[in-house]
Amino acid sequence: MTTPVPEHHDGTSDATPGGYENDRRPGELGFALFMLAASLGLLWSAYDISGFEALSAPGAIPMATTLAMVITALIIALRTARLPLIRGEGFVKDILPGTVVVMTLFLIAYALLLRPLGFLPTSALFLVAAVKLLSGRGWAFTLTVSLGSLVAIWLIFRIVFSVLMPAGIVPEAEFIQMFRNLLGGKA
Amino acid sequence: METLLAFLTVFTHPELLLLVGVGTFAGVYVGAIPGLSVTMAVSILISFTFSWDVHPAIALMIGIYMGGVYGGSRTAILLNIPGAPSAIATALDGYPMAQRGEAGTAIGVTTVMSFFGGFIGIAVLAVAAPFVSDFALKFQPRDYMLLAVLGILLVGSLSTGSLLKGIFAGALGIAIGAVGRDPLTFTERFTFDLKLMEGGISFIAVMIGMFGVSEALMQLHHVNKAAVRQKISRIVPSFSTIRKYLPLSLQTSSIGVIIGALPGTGGDIAALMAYDHAKRVTKSPEVPFGKGAMEGLVAPETANNAAVGGAFIPMMTLGIPGDAVTAIMIGALFIHGLNPGPMLMIDQPDMFWFIVGALVMANFFMLLFGLTGIKLFTRIVEMPRAVLIPLIMLLSIVGAYAVNNSISDVYWMLGFGVFGYFMRHYGYPLGPVILGVILSRLLDDNWRRAIISEREDLGRFFAGLFSSPLSTILFLSVVLIFVSQTPLWTRAKARLARKAA
Repeated sequence: MTTPVPEHHDGTSDATPGGYENDRRPGELGFALFMLAASLGLLWSAYDISGFEALSAPGAIPMATTLAMVITALIIALRTARLPLIRGEGFVKDILPGTVVVMTLFLIAYALLLRPLGFLPTSALFLVAAVKLLSGRGWAFTLTVSLGSLVAIWLIFRIVFSVLMPAGIVPEAEFIQMFRNLLGGKA
Repeated sequence: METLLAFLTVFTHPELLLLVGVGTFAGVYVGAIPGLSVTMAVSILISFTFSWDVHPAIALMIGIYMGGVYGGSRTAILLNIPGAPSAIATALDGYPMAQRGEAGTAIGVTTVMSFFGGFIGIAVLAVAAPFVSDFALKFQPRDYMLLAVLGILLVGSLSTGSLLKGIFAGALGIAIGAVGRDPLTFTERFTFDLKLMEGGISFIAVMIGMFGVSEALMQLHHVNKAAVRQKISRIVPSFSTIRKYLPLSLQTSSIGVIIGALPGTGGDIAALMAYDHAKRVTKSPEVPFGKGAMEGLVAPETANNAAVGGAFIPMMTLGIPGDAVTAIMIGALFIHGLNPGPMLMIDQPDMFWFIVGALVMANFFMLLFGLTGIKLFTRIVEMPRAVLIPLIMLLSIVGAYAVNNSISDVYWMLGFGVFGYFMRHYGYPLGPVILGVILSRLLDDNWRRAIISEREDLGRFFAGLFSSPLSTILFLSVVLIFVSQTPLWTRAKARLARKAA
């Protein structure tokens, strides 16, 4: 099959997954070994479900699938180990740059703060911090764009999709009621 | 008569019509904006349309699906950045055309051809699905099991990547789907004695993580890439151009429908295969392939939209998704209490005809939005990624949280997001994981049913495999895929080639 110009090996599509056929990317062997270890752990756990009790036992398919994982992970690890390391790529530069790490930490912080602080303040903090970090532009741009899009998102969620997010410290329900009263409706 | 009424549901309910329209419009842009994919959008949307009725929810998703498969071609042509996976092949000849100043023609042909392909896909769906579902009633549990295995294997074997990694990903998905209490015996599986794991892992969390967060993290690599402005002139292509490529587009549409209908494989693979086909059959193109050949646009664009209709065939008749997006839609139907499979077609044929009607409408909307609104389009696509990426991440978190109002789903989602990010880097396909998660239950149930009916005797099970032609074919296909990856196959092929020479 025609392989499109592989400018970036990022596996956007399953038709053209990332990685290289004849080279090993930085960290690829580590990942393959980790997968092997995890598969072995899961196989053990699958054996624990019902052992070799019966072919129709609840553990049968889990054991078969984890066994398939162990076998494929083993071959993948062996093949990966034999490939030469690709030139010109570094783990920090091409696989896990600082921005990815920072954004992941932001995401974890978001999940931690969502319940205690509530949707609106947490999202505002997250968007402002992320847009500022990624765009590197002034505060006026950052604040307008992030708070503007937050308001839009909140309106769409609450009104079109009626999704309820944790209110936290912001009295959202009172706000909405106040607006409804202002508009004259007693709904 | 009832069929006709069900088919016309979309047309007679203004709000559904509007939702298909809004969905298609949004889909064109979702597809066009690099970093936003249809799979991502539909998986996030499941959780937002959770509280809706099933009809509006499906109408919106179908619009996004149809529009999104097409939308990716825009950025592929204008910027050489495929906005969606299904447009990867479109960039090969679309961008060279734009460089020559023929962006308008390229977009016009792409739009009309996408419409044409989409239409063929829907027509085949409407005609074939009822037959397939009749046939599906004869399927035995082992056939379902084999089909599920085949679907998971096909993604790995038809793509350019490694089948081993595809199998690994699929098996991992099945294992993820098995987490929690076994529905038949209530035994705990992969719970590690944690209360949190007993209910299983929400498949929506897995999907949003794999397709939303991991893609957003991936896009961080290209955060500073600026968009290039292109001048676009005439768009609507002339009738003679369309007529000239009609034979080719019929062939590539058929490829699209077939690849779409094969379990697991979707528009992205269909487009690349159709591109290869066009290259093979076009003996003397006016412009060489890769330099801006019109055939190189027609083939992938008809195929990827034809694959949409095709993908619904196994989904509606067997409950086995045709691609990643239909896998997610099966999840959506589950949530709304519907169980896709042959019985759905028999008990609720109106649901099927409603989907067909919505697809037809979405296809028309796609043509309309494709040929208009170019100015607005270029503006939206220029939205900086520094703003887009945080927004996708925010939507992913909200989406994962909203289904069960559970913060642990958010952690699962983030975990799978980071995991998917590394999988992408190292060439592990994500589609089989989702397919595995969705098909895990089906595979498990049918295996157990099959083996119990054979009195736990493997010998009888294998004998049974060869007692029905369908089981035999499915089993041989699975074996063939395995053999095709071993050195044995390469050697046999080399020997055959030598004999032929």
